[in-house]
Amino acid sequence: MASLIRQTLVMTRANLLSLPRRRAISLSMSLSIALVVMVLAGFLSMAKGFEQALKGTGSSAVAVILGGGTNQETGSDIPPDVVRSIAAKRSDLGLVRNAAGELVASREIVVPVDVRHPGDNLGQTMALRGMDLSGLSLRDGVTLSAGRPFARGSREILVGDRLAHDVPGFGVGDTVRLGAVDWTVSGHFSAGGSAFESELWADLDAVRAGFDRQGEVQTLRLRLESPASIATLRDALSDVTETPLVITSETDLYAGQSGRTSDLIRLFGWPLALLMAVGAGAGALNTMMSSVADRASEIAVVRTLGFGRMAAFASTWIEAVLLSLAGAAIGVAASWALFNGWQASTVGVNNTRMMFQLAVTGDVMTMAALLGLAIGAIGGALPAIAATRRR
Amino acid sequence: MTDTNDQPPYIDLKGIRKGYRIGAEMVSIFSSLDLAIAGGEFVAIMGPSGSGKSTLLNMLAGIDGPDGGQLRIGGKRLDQMGESARSAWRAHNMGIVFQFYNLLPMLTAAENVELPLLLKPLSARERRIRTEKVLDLVGLAGREKQYPTLMSGGQQQRVGIARAIVSDPGLLLCDEPTGDLDRKSADEILAMLGFLNKEMGKTIVMVTHDPQAARHASRTLHLDKGEFVEERSAA
Ligand SMILES: Nc1ncnc2c1ncn2[C@@H]1O[C@H](COP(=O)(O)OP(=O)(O)OP(=O)(O)O)[C@@H](O)[C@H]1O
Ligand SMILES: [Mg+2]
Repeated sequence: MASLIRQTLVMTRANLLSLPRRRAISLSMSLSIALVVMVLAGFLSMAKGFEQALKGTGSSAVAVILGGGTNQETGSDIPPDVVRSIAAKRSDLGLVRNAAGELVASREIVVPVDVRHPGDNLGQTMALRGMDLSGLSLRDGVTLSAGRPFARGSREILVGDRLAHDVPGFGVGDTVRLGAVDWTVSGHFSAGGSAFESELWADLDAVRAGFDRQGEVQTLRLRLESPASIATLRDALSDVTETPLVITSETDLYAGQSGRTSDLIRLFGWPLALLMAVGAGAGALNTMMSSVADRASEIAVVRTLGFGRMAAFASTWIEAVLLSLAGAAIGVAASWALFNGWQASTVGVNNTRMMFQLAVTGDVMTMAALLGLAIGAIGGALPAIAATRRR
Repeated sequence: MTDTNDQPPYIDLKGIRKGYRIGAEMVSIFSSLDLAIAGGEFVAIMGPSGSGKSTLLNMLAGIDGPDGGQLRIGGKRLDQMGESARSAWRAHNMGIVFQFYNLLPMLTAAENVELPLLLKPLSARERRIRTEKVLDLVGLAGREKQYPTLMSGGQQQRVGIARAIVSDPGLLLCDEPTGDLDRKSADEILAMLGFLNKEMGKTIVMVTHDPQAARHASRTLHLDKGEFVEERSAA
């Protein structure tokens, strides 16, 4: 055993020292593996970034009530009498009330709006959210980063930082045409990079008027006494309507929507990466076959000296694994440098555009690097066996 | 030398059959070859190209097996051993010197010489001491760290010889060890082989095309068309 290790070590050393003879083909193996690693890391970091944006959105101390049997804001509808009867309840709902005994609540609607800038015909669909003024106080972790909030009843919009950063024409004081009317940007808000930052916020009545949605309420946001009191709320409201209301925490509402899209990104990314991996694996096989051919006489010499087949196998396989390790390292480093924090956007919540940052996290890098290593380990196995047949 | 009539010869080949398949055809190299070499002999094997000299040497080394007959070395039936057993036997009992040295170009002289020792249970220190000793013996003291590619042919062949004797085998097999060397280097190598035979008791079987080289041997065998044709003993 000790002898086998010594044999393998010296053969591996000789192998690696002879790498300059196979510089080009070895480099191409490493680089093609790096490319596969980057493709996978790109997709995974996109899915991860999307997840992070949605999972970081909202507060677990805020309840969201949806009506009409849907668990998404689009398509949700709460009839005005239901809103009134909830507001009129004096029993313990597990909700925070103000000094006057009224619920801290915000009635909201989300309207998809097409934003078109000069010179860009495509336009993007953004989410314009109309809310009561109290809606702002229901946004935990949201801070004003520029300007001031929208004023009650006026056509002013408060713009998420990420949207303001990515889409031109949303500076404080700018006028933006949404629907048939012009709106003025009153300020920007920050929400820790979460999905909120891709939204436009405005006064509920102004939005209703601008988009002919008089009297409509899609969701009702309420402040819970504690995250656990959502159960009390559910009990208390179980018989308010015929079709039961969907009552969820704001955190769950967004997190629940991250799954589908991020799975879709991964579902697209993995097959592509695996397909490329097969190509890179064939390249690795070819590289290592020529390595074995290149070292044929050296293998024959040490075999004649009494070195075992295992040493011939192991040293060839280790060369393959080390080359793929180098490729994986290059791929991971490049992914991190290029992708991490890269702004991306996709159709997210409410079928409107959502901006987020790619997140090259530890598990993204690990997964991508493992794929890279697997290419070398698998692609190098056959040539390593071929090396044992050399005499 | 002891009486070879009582003792079986060190190398003992009886009725060796060997051929190669070339396409569908079987080409016979040896149909029934006998050979006896006593321990401590220095035997030169000569013969025209294609007469089977290398084939014979490869069988003696256990690199290749005979198709039939008996092949004994030191009492062991090499022809009955499996490949890995032959490989282990070779590592412990014989050293091989090649025409083109067969050194690994990316390893230093010392590292090349050390290779056979890696198969043995020796400490790094013991390996270094032995390596330096044989490099000294072949006249390359102080060149441990030099790379073979920077050495002359004669020097490279000395490294080759050092590697062949570093694990102190009783038998040296040399396939045209001077075939690639000029006269002066060749003579030095041959003198060294003579020294190893006479002073250190190594049994040497050397294939050569060079009649002058054969003169260093105690016996010369002539191989032609797969048979030994005449024998000439040195004085
Ligand atoms: N692996 C092989 N496969 C097929 N034929 C072989 C093989 N090895 C040797 N031969 C053939 O066997 C015959 C003897 O070859 P061998 O190498 O033993 O000759 P040699 O006496 O060493 O010749 P040289 O003086 O040229 O080295 C040759 O005809 C050669 O072509
Ligand atoms: Mg030959």
